[in-house]
Amino acid sequence: MKVNVPYINLPMQWKAEREFLLLIIEDVMSSGDFIGGARVEGFEHSVSALCETDFCVALNSGTDALVTGLVAMGIGRGDEVITPPNSFVASTAAISHIGAVPVFVDVVSDQSIDASKIEAAITKKTKAIMPVHLTGRMAQMDTIMEIADHFKIGVIEDSAQSIGSKFNTKSSGSIGQVGCFSTHPLKNLNACGDGGFLITNNRDIADRVRSLRNHGLLDRNTVKEFGYVSRMDALQASILTYRLNKLESVTSKRQHNASLYDELLDREYCFTPEPDSKIFNTYHTYVIQVSNRDGLQRYLTERGIGTAIHYPIPIHLQPAAKNLGYKLGDFPVTESQAGKILSLPIHQFLKDSDIETVASTVNKFFREAE
Amino acid sequence: MKVRYSYLKQQFENADDLWEQLKSFVSTGDFTLGKPLTEFEQKFAQLMGSKHAIGVNSGTDAIKLALKAKGIGFGDEVITAANTFVATVGAIMELGAIPVFVDCNDTFCMNVDLLENAITSKTKAIVPVHFTGYMTDMRKLLPIAQKYNLVVVEDACQSILGAIDGKKAGTWSSAGAFSLHPLKNLNVWSDGGVIITDDDHLDQQLRLLRNHGMVDRDTIGIMGYNSRLDTIQAVVGNWLIPQTVSIAEARIKNAAYYDKNFKTIGQIIIPPRPKDFNIVYHLYIVFAKQREELLKYCLSRGIEAKVHYPVPIYRQPALAHLGHKEGDFPVTDEHTHKIITFPCDQHISKNEMDYVIQTVSNFYK
Repeated sequence: MKVNVPYINLPMQWKAEREFLLLIIEDVMSSGDFIGGARVEGFEHSVSALCETDFCVALNSGTDALVTGLVAMGIGRGDEVITPPNSFVASTAAISHIGAVPVFVDVVSDQSIDASKIEAAITKKTKAIMPVHLTGRMAQMDTIMEIADHFKIGVIEDSAQSIGSKFNTKSSGSIGQVGCFSTHPLKNLNACGDGGFLITNNRDIADRVRSLRNHGLLDRNTVKEFGYVSRMDALQASILTYRLNKLESVTSKRQHNASLYDELLDREYCFTPEPDSKIFNTYHTYVIQVSNRDGLQRYLTERGIGTAIHYPIPIHLQPAAKNLGYKLGDFPVTESQAGKILSLPIHQFLKDSDIETVASTVNKFFREAE
Repeated sequence: MKVRYSYLKQQFENADDLWEQLKSFVSTGDFTLGKPLTEFEQKFAQLMGSKHAIGVNSGTDAIKLALKAKGIGFGDEVITAANTFVATVGAIMELGAIPVFVDCNDTFCMNVDLLENAITSKTKAIVPVHFTGYMTDMRKLLPIAQKYNLVVVEDACQSILGAIDGKKAGTWSSAGAFSLHPLKNLNVWSDGGVIITDDDHLDQQLRLLRNHGMVDRDTIGIMGYNSRLDTIQAVVGNWLIPQTVSIAEARIKNAAYYDKNFKTIGQIIIPPRPKDFNIVYHLYIVFAKQREELLKYCLSRGIEAKVHYPVPIYRQPALAHLGHKEGDFPVTDEHTHKIITFPCDQHISKNEMDYVIQTVSNFYK
């Protein structure tokens, strides 16, 4: 039987929000106030309040948040930054772009960095750890902060997939010196184009990133250090401010969907990490680890169920990472997961019956194979 | 009377058709590298007469990505004009390359006669800046670049449709970089930029660089950036791009009107207007005696005059390590004391221009 359960559904989001978004677009259009300004500042304040940090700086993308965050932490050419190899390429690319060296550490079964292996990767050149809160589930931040404090190195959280997630009641991105977020259209808090922001409690870092995002200008006529062009535009900021008010319900719907999957998927075939009482997971993705993943994905696609793989080729095995000198076998958990992971539809516009359909189709695939 | 510098409110006052296009676009959810972006790139390439156009996040990124794709990196020297906007130099610095400056002339562009002196064994590229809507004399620059085998990327951010001998800014070299910032002649509602090129390989590299180096969804060919022109902004661009020629024409006409009238004021010197140049007047700048007082006088009478720029880039604290000092680039320095910019956009009225001219004239009386 063919069903229609898309992996993402942006037109549905538009339908649900149409009348508000139209007002927002019209308001920005008629104001002529397109870059920076009150709308962007308003968004920054709302984020600071949500994440309970002193500062938020809105930027053009999550990638730029990582780049400017690293620079503002004083990291540069030749410095080493520890990060997992199973992330989206942007985490590693941000480190490379500023001339620093990404040093990979393998992950554990829930796909977050293996905190017990970090210490062995620290050298005299290590300046920071960049944990990635992949899928909306946070890395083991208590252990990571202990190690960072002990070695006096920084922590920059890649929170691109974990807006609103928590570790021991602390918001994702608010635990390290800097937290970096993306508001790409496919994220839980999404704009209608690229966008991102950075949060911090450190005034110097916030000020420096504010300057970096605007060519490094201190005022109209003074450049103290060269920067970038990475400004969030007013239109996206307004859309995001509106959607920020709905984030709580988006999160609970995704959590509800996840718990339905947890209940319905046959554990004999589908591995998902055990819930961790310290972690409030916002389920940017719902990832199962299965054998015959490619077969399952084909089976689901044929039956009208959209899925995705985040990500099938680990960064250390990408052509772009050749110069880093890693090889197959260096990160066995990451490599093994790359062949097993499959992201099922989890977005907030799914009905319970959709989840039931997906779960039963997955179970059927494996039971048929027996 | 008030003569404003920014005309953005006026520009989108009667844009019902754009409004309809935006509404139908947003409902598609096609926000990242979507169909309207491809359309915009095709229209832009057609407008410029180039083979490819690649939409990126800013004019700065357009320069940066073009240089990067041409292999410019750490320690390479890149020659540019001493009077440019911060972005040109920011793009060079971000790649770890070293900016080397050449003075400008009274057309606000690099004095190409001085170019050869700045070339060293480390020089890898030249970024001529077609500043204010003028153009660098590419007829003289290209033979020198060729002689020393240097990459040329044109910073055409301020000179869309500017030309020399009918050949457009951005089409003379490997790649031309354009900005779509709200204050540019062709603008969108956010940061934005475009790179044009005739080189298929370069086009391919630039498309990778702007999108995380992704060859396909799963393969990362090179370490790239996130520098995409938002598709929603391409919808705005598609609406505006048919007006680009008439915007340039209106600015040229306004500039001619200012020129004609300012000529009668002895204290105002009009920069050279070479006949073989098509100057598109992103900025309308003249040289003025007692500039500081004139600027204050204009501002106090509601005219948003400006100075682009009072402190030249080569003397900024961010470049202190290069050891430049005032006097190194005398024409650039001299300009900082006498340049003044008046609103010259396509929405300014004859009344407003008359008021500007009258105010300037009154000041000197």
